[in-house]
Amino acid sequence: MTPPFSKLLIANRGEIAVRVIRACREMGIATVAVFSEADREALHVLLADEAVPIGPAPAAQSYLSTEKLIAAARATGAQAVHPGYGFLAENASFADACATAGLVFIGPPPAAVRAMGDKMAARRVAASLGVPVVPGVSEAVTDDKDAARIAEDVGYPVMLKAVMGGGGKGMRLVHRREDLAGALRTARSEAGAAFGDASVYIERYLAAPRHVEIQILADAHGSTVHLGERECSIQRRHQKLIEESPSPGVDAELRRRMGAAACRLAAAVGYVNAGTAEFLVDARGSFYFLEMNARLQVEHPVTELVTGRDLVREQLRIAAGEKLGYGQEDIAWSGAAIECRINAEDPDQGFLPSPGRITRLSAPAGPWVRNDSGVYAGYTVPRYYDTLMAKLIVWAPDREAAVARMDRALGEYQVGGIRSTIPVLRRILRHPDFVAGRLDTQFMERLDDATVPGRHRTVALIAAALAAYERAGREIPPAPAPTVGPWARLGRPGSSGSRPR
Amino acid sequence: MKFETQLDGAVVPVEVTGDGSRYRVTLGGNALEVDARPTGAGGWSLLLGRASFAAGVSEEEGGVFVVDVDGETYSIRVEEETRYIIRTRGGGAAARGQILKAPMPGRVVMVEVTVGQAVAPGDGLVILEAMKMENEFKASVAGTVKEIRVEAGQAVNPGDVLVVVE
Repeated sequence: MTPPFSKLLIANRGEIAVRVIRACREMGIATVAVFSEADREALHVLLADEAVPIGPAPAAQSYLSTEKLIAAARATGAQAVHPGYGFLAENASFADACATAGLVFIGPPPAAVRAMGDKMAARRVAASLGVPVVPGVSEAVTDDKDAARIAEDVGYPVMLKAVMGGGGKGMRLVHRREDLAGALRTARSEAGAAFGDASVYIERYLAAPRHVEIQILADAHGSTVHLGERECSIQRRHQKLIEESPSPGVDAELRRRMGAAACRLAAAVGYVNAGTAEFLVDARGSFYFLEMNARLQVEHPVTELVTGRDLVREQLRIAAGEKLGYGQEDIAWSGAAIECRINAEDPDQGFLPSPGRITRLSAPAGPWVRNDSGVYAGYTVPRYYDTLMAKLIVWAPDREAAVARMDRALGEYQVGGIRSTIPVLRRILRHPDFVAGRLDTQFMERLDDATVPGRHRTVALIAAALAAYERAGREIPPAPAPTVGPWARLGRPGSSGSRPR
Repeated sequence: MKFETQLDGAVVPVEVTGDGSRYRVTLGGNALEVDARPTGAGGWSLLLGRASFAAGVSEEEGGVFVVDVDGETYSIRVEEETRYIIRTRGGGAAARGQILKAPMPGRVVMVEVTVGQAVAPGDGLVILEAMKMENEFKASVAGTVKEIRVEAGQAVNPGDVLVVVE
């Protein structure tokens, strides 16, 4: 196969930059990494063929700087730019700037990014196509009094969402009218910091829905297919923790209907490349369009594992103008895949970020286990970016086996030096509702920490006491031994005989 | 060597003797023979009889050991017995009030209280932005805000005192 490009720049960092580098390497495409001052030692820099510094640690001065990214692409002779997710992935101006500079942007055309990036315009398009949307308003609220009136009309509880949002930032659930003003303030402040646009809108909040999204692929020759759904209901603070495909709540008929709706939306806005239509699905199986994500999703690997299609490779082929080469009837699904997000967060302290040095890292392996990671032992997770360190993904012939495989793999995963989401992921995997596939966006509120006693308390106490004992042995200097030279003492630390008993 | 271990509020006395790789660990009155080998970077292979465990141990400040076993994480404070006795019998300053310190580097988004304000447990004190998320830090005790040492927009480092509640 002739590579679609000879060299590609990845305008991102972390595990997704590593993911793109891997696809490029398999396709014979040279890779250019970019890095901020905080990321010189990041894994994507280590793995790329070339690496270009693009400025200080804060993203606004590096990963969000169109000027520096374009300059890096020009300096290295890259032909194409992959934006990953987050940062500039859904920024139409960046896509424009790439085109102006003669670079191929790996993503949808700027017009489609604009049409879908504006969440309210996307709602209007969906409504015009007969795709149901969640009740709410299709414009930003600027005035707190207007907001209060709209919230009353829509009916509490309401959800505040960033117009340019994604990833849970700038989202707030408001149950009572007296909490609205405060929630508007924090939602705007988060949205402004994350997206450079502080506007938010209001939508009715559906109680305990499933969050289900449809992956689509569209080429530049008019072919659009969907690759089925991903169930993304396990979220905390509106950020996904576990995703799977297929969804235990979606049957073939619902998949067909949601898939057709997603393809219709994509075609209506001239969408090309990989994209995702997000829906809420209520207990009766009614679905409501939420938004279209004009990018590769974090959770794309579960779709890859059940369809056998490499989405990054498809993105590159499509961006180079190639035809999909297959139709909807060629898409087949096999088995079940689950993804867990291994974040640098402390689940015992409200998922507080836990940046710092990883002193020990042991990732799981074995059959049908995939670890898409951006970290390594000895690496320091910087405090400037999001907390996602790695994604653990498993496949099995059915969901029950996939849950067992994920449980096994999480048990093998060890991250030392900083806290991670591994313990809470394990508890979720073992919760009866998760095992039974009873998933909805309120699941995390049902996960009661206290009801799950650790099974290995005794072993943990022994390990902690042994570590303290060995450390105490090292701290006490060995008594001078007149009959042996100084080198004789250089045995294994802690193994000398002089230790308090 | 005798230790007091604390896990989730329970205090368990643990005595360790032995050397090299064979240890005798007496835990809550039960004596166990443990074959323990370090596997590098805080990793331990433990054989309790035939039962095999791989544990990871990281030490945090304050004598707290974070232990990973089979996907579970435990935070265990380990103190040498005499130190524990001195600390607990010394009538150390009874922890009334709250000194809220920044647990991580970040930026103060908002201070939600004013000096002199009465607060109840669970009331928001400060919102700190770190790693792209806003995190609200709440009062853990009932009291009065005595000091506010930061303002909105300010960058803070771990250990910086943010708010003092009495």
